[in-house]
Amino acid sequence: MLHAITIIVAQTTVLLAISPFLVGLIRKVKARLQLRRGASVLQPYADLAKLFQKQPVISTTTSWIFTATPYIVFASILTAGLLVPTFTSQTPMNFAGNIIALVYLLALSTFFLILAGLDTGSAFGGMGGSREAIVASLTEPAMILAIFAIALTNGSTNVSTIVHKTALLEGIVTDPSPHLMALAALFIVALAETGRVPVDNPATHLELTMIHEAMVLEYSGRYLALLEWAAGLKLAVFLSLIANVFAPWGIATTVTPAAMAVGLLVYVVKTAALAVSIGVIECMFAKLRLFRVTDLLGVAFILALLGLLFFYILRS
Amino acid sequence: MQGLSSIGSQLVDLCSALLLLTCFAIVAQRRLSACVDLFALQSAFLVITAALVAYLTGNQHIYIAAALTGVIKVIIIPRVLKKVIDRLNVKRELVMYINVPAGLLICGGLVMLAFFIAQPIIPFGFLLTRDALAIALAIVLIGLFTMIARQKAVTQLVGFLVLENGLFLGATAATYGMPLIVELGVFFDVLVATLIAGIYTNRLQDAFDSVDTDRLTVLKE
Repeated sequence: MLHAITIIVAQTTVLLAISPFLVGLIRKVKARLQLRRGASVLQPYADLAKLFQKQPVISTTTSWIFTATPYIVFASILTAGLLVPTFTSQTPMNFAGNIIALVYLLALSTFFLILAGLDTGSAFGGMGGSREAIVASLTEPAMILAIFAIALTNGSTNVSTIVHKTALLEGIVTDPSPHLMALAALFIVALAETGRVPVDNPATHLELTMIHEAMVLEYSGRYLALLEWAAGLKLAVFLSLIANVFAPWGIATTVTPAAMAVGLLVYVVKTAALAVSIGVIECMFAKLRLFRVTDLLGVAFILALLGLLFFYILRS
Repeated sequence: MQGLSSIGSQLVDLCSALLLLTCFAIVAQRRLSACVDLFALQSAFLVITAALVAYLTGNQHIYIAAALTGVIKVIIIPRVLKKVIDRLNVKRELVMYINVPAGLLICGGLVMLAFFIAQPIIPFGFLLTRDALAIALAIVLIGLFTMIARQKAVTQLVGFLVLENGLFLGATAATYGMPLIVELGVFFDVLVATLIAGIYTNRLQDAFDSVDTDRLTVLKE
C-alpha cells in the first residue's frame, strides 16, 4: 500500500516536472533549426511561475464553467497520465481504468475546454471551440482503433499490462505490421491532439491558424498557467504512451530502486528524443489548411483500421 | 532455423506492410512530384522485400530481379517522371474525381476485399511469405483505384507503376519469383510503357494545353 502511494506520488511528480521541459525542448529544437538561438529549455518553468503570481482577470459575462474548466482540464489530464506507465510498468492506478478510460479522460478535458471557449461569448472562443470539436471528433475514432490494434496484439486493454508484457517480451511483436500501423496512426493523433504544427500552430496568435490558443484566449493569471501546464501534460502523456507501448525497453519491470532509477533515466531520454523528432517535424512541414486536416486525420483513421485488419487476417 | 525463418517471415511481412503504407500515402498525396518520390520509396521497400526473400529462400535469381527493380524503378523511372513533370509545369493535382478521405476509405475497403479473397489461399501458401500475398493483391487493387480516381495522366501512370509493384510483390511472395527471363521481359515492358506514357503525356500537353485525360473524350476534327 505504502509502495503504491510512493509510486503514485513519484509518477505525478515526474509528469508535472517533465512536461514544461518537453515543451521547452520542442521550442529550442525549432529555434535551432531556424538558425535562431531560442529561449532556454527551462523557459516554460519561468513562464508558469510568473503566470501563477499574476492576478487573473475574468470577464463579467462568464459563468462558473469558465473558472472551473482549468481545474477540470488539469485534473483529468493528470489522471490520464497516472494510467500510462512512465518510468515503471507497475502503474499504481492501473486498477482504476484501462486504455479506454484514458481516451475518455482526455476527451473530457477537450469537452470542457470547448465549453469554456464558448462560455466567454467572444468570437474567438467559439471559433476555436468549433475547430477543436472538428479535430477531436476525427482523432477519437483513429485513436480508439489504434489502441484496439495494440490491445489485441497483447490480449489486454490495460496499458500497464500491455507495457509490462512487451517489456518482458511475452506474447508480443509476433507480428510487427499491426504495431507499425498503430504507431503511425497514434503519432498523427498525438500531433493533432496536442495542437502541433500540421494541425495547429502553438506559437501563433493569428486567428486563421489557431485552435487551442483561440479557446484559451480569455484566460489569464493562474488559470492560464494551469491550462498551459495541462497542455504540456497532455504532450507528456502522449509521448509516454507512444514511447512505452512501442519501445518499452529499459522501463522498470520490478519495484526496486535501481530499476526505478534506470527506468526514470531511460524515460527522460525516450520522451526527449520524441520531443526532438516533433520539433524537427514542425520545421519540415507547413501548417495544413483547416479543411485539409480532415485528410491527415483520415489517413490516421485508415492506418489504425489497417492495423486492426492486419491483426485479424494475419493471425487467422 | 525455425526461429530464423520466423523472424524472416516477420521482416517480409513488415516490409510488405510498409509497401502498403506508401500506397496509402500516394492516394492521400496531392502533389505530383511527391507522388513520384513516394513511388520511388515504395520501390525501395520492394527491393528490400525481394532481397529478403532471396536471402531466406536461397533463390539467387531474385537478387537480380531486386537489383533491376532498384535500378529501373528507384532511379530511372522517377527521373523520367520528374522530367515530364518539369516540362508540364504543373506542381499540384487539384482535380480528383474522388476526394482524399473518401478515396482513403475506399482503399481501406479494397484492402479488406483483398484480404477476404486471399484468405482461403493463405493456409496453403509457403510459411515465409504467405501474408505478403494478400498485401500484394491489395496493392494491385489500390493501383487500379489510383488509375481510375485521378484525372491527370502522370498520376494515372504512377497508379500503373504501383499496380506493377503489387504484381511483382505477388510473384515474389506466391512463387518465390518468376523465371528470370519473364522478370526481365516484365521490367523491359514497364520501362518502355513508362517512356511511352511520358511521351504521350507530353503530346497530350501539346494538343490540349492540359494533361487532363477527360479532354480525350471530346472528339475534334
